[in-house]
Amino acid sequence: MTTETKQGGPRAATPCLAGLCAGLMRRDLAPGAPWLSTLPVLLGAVLALLLASGMALAVFYDPRAAQASLRFIALEVPAGWIMRGYHVTGAGLGFVLLYVHLFRMLLTRGYRGPAAAGWMLWVTLLAALLLAGWLGFALNGGLGGYWSLIDAISASLALSGPAGGVAMWFFGGAPGDGTLARLLVFHAVLGVAAAGLLWLACAATRQARPAPAGRMVAFWPVYAAQAFAALALLALVFALLMCFAPHWGQGAQSQLPASSLAVPAAVSYPWYLTPLAGLTALFPGAGGHALAVIAAAAALYALPWLDRSGGGAPGGLYRALTWLLGLDVLGLGLSAVCPLAAGLQILLFVWFFIHFLVLTPAVTAMEAA
Amino acid sequence: MVDHTADANSVPVGESRRGFLAILAMAGGAVGAATILWPVIDALNPDAGSEAAARPVVTVSDIPENTARQVMWGGLPILIRRLTDKQLADNETVSMDDLPDPASLESRVAPANRHFVVVVGLNTATPCALEGNTPSEPRGDFDGWLCACDGSQYDPLGRARRGPSRRNLPIPRFTFINEAQIQLG
Repeated sequence: MTTETKQGGPRAATPCLAGLCAGLMRRDLAPGAPWLSTLPVLLGAVLALLLASGMALAVFYDPRAAQASLRFIALEVPAGWIMRGYHVTGAGLGFVLLYVHLFRMLLTRGYRGPAAAGWMLWVTLLAALLLAGWLGFALNGGLGGYWSLIDAISASLALSGPAGGVAMWFFGGAPGDGTLARLLVFHAVLGVAAAGLLWLACAATRQARPAPAGRMVAFWPVYAAQAFAALALLALVFALLMCFAPHWGQGAQSQLPASSLAVPAAVSYPWYLTPLAGLTALFPGAGGHALAVIAAAAALYALPWLDRSGGGAPGGLYRALTWLLGLDVLGLGLSAVCPLAAGLQILLFVWFFIHFLVLTPAVTAMEAA
Repeated sequence: MVDHTADANSVPVGESRRGFLAILAMAGGAVGAATILWPVIDALNPDAGSEAAARPVVTVSDIPENTARQVMWGGLPILIRRLTDKQLADNETVSMDDLPDPASLESRVAPANRHFVVVVGLNTATPCALEGNTPSEPRGDFDGWLCACDGSQYDPLGRARRGPSRRNLPIPRFTFINEAQIQLG
């Protein structure tokens, strides 16, 4: 065997592969990262599964007979029920991973300084996935999705000015035969965009990571083994949910056929949309909903600048308030499932903004002092 | 203390074990990924109903002589007719000059199954359904098919013979999968 042959092979033939291998072997990571740092990897795997199953579903999905075509997919298409299971359970688990990762970033102040760009990309990813999730809820063709869509379109088209123009462009006018076909395209585009956003967010977070001091390790094999074990655990949970709780968190109305004559008293959303539904519930009309969503998004985007701490580990009070925020978001979600007292609903809504706009600047400045 | 080297020239035992575990993990991961992704690939196969509708199998062995069976395929009425020996002999000797759309017997039937004619049962002049599938229905002067609307007449091979129709009945794509069954498409 000659030296040339020894140095050949797939790595030499594909510089990208060689670069990837070199990157995986480079010792530039601090050892002992917690298991929760694998969340972006897991989210990437779930997004890949959502894209693959979404592609298979789109082949047979008929927007003009949404629920009938989904029933057809489940019963007639080879492995169709598995594709539905992948997509439904993947959506639910993806949001679990995303919410936990964002909460962890809040808890550890992973949004400060150079990581601000990464944080904003994560918030954008959340917005894209929430919109994609809502479109998926509508595309399901269930009673809840149908009326959520009708309400959204009717209220949006009543808007005037540029907001009305954007709504008209997005929904394609009044609800009709082509509405779901149009939203299917946006759903798919948002799914692909989410994968790109995840990649960008991970890259930005990696760039912002401080250079570790002392002994360093490479991704391969230390963190590869960690990610592999985490993926195996995720696959186990995924399989259990898909097989034993296929309709987990979907909302009862998702299983009822859409009907223009059966008007539900309140739309039951999938669990991952409930915090957003709780946030917007206090404001009637599309304008009010849009205002609440924009205000919440603005608070999240502005967080790196609202945090007044110069650096250092987060203090106990900040951590306690962050846990309280988590409970507040859970409460907002709960308020969309079962009606709460009006005062409590207002308190939950107001607390969300007080946390970001008042408590975060005050507590972080106090702890930095 | 454990001796990590078997001898001076061999790979250290620790590295060998690590390599084995890495290969085992990668193999397990590959199997897991394939198990997850295989249903995605399988789901892109056509469903059983579409496949059956796109390429239906029709049993022809029980069609009586001088009778046609109609099946719907791709929205078109397909007529499958079993010819008698006399019809075969009579139509083999028809002069091509007498036909508006000349076609020999060999071009109208499968060589190995000459007793069956398979045509699209729509008149080629005005696209309406034809009569003559059973001997009790009107069949025209050529004992084939007749269009009651415009009077077009076809012989048992589906060739245009009289009336406004100037083209033979089209022959759909089909295959004899055995002596008793044909598959359309």
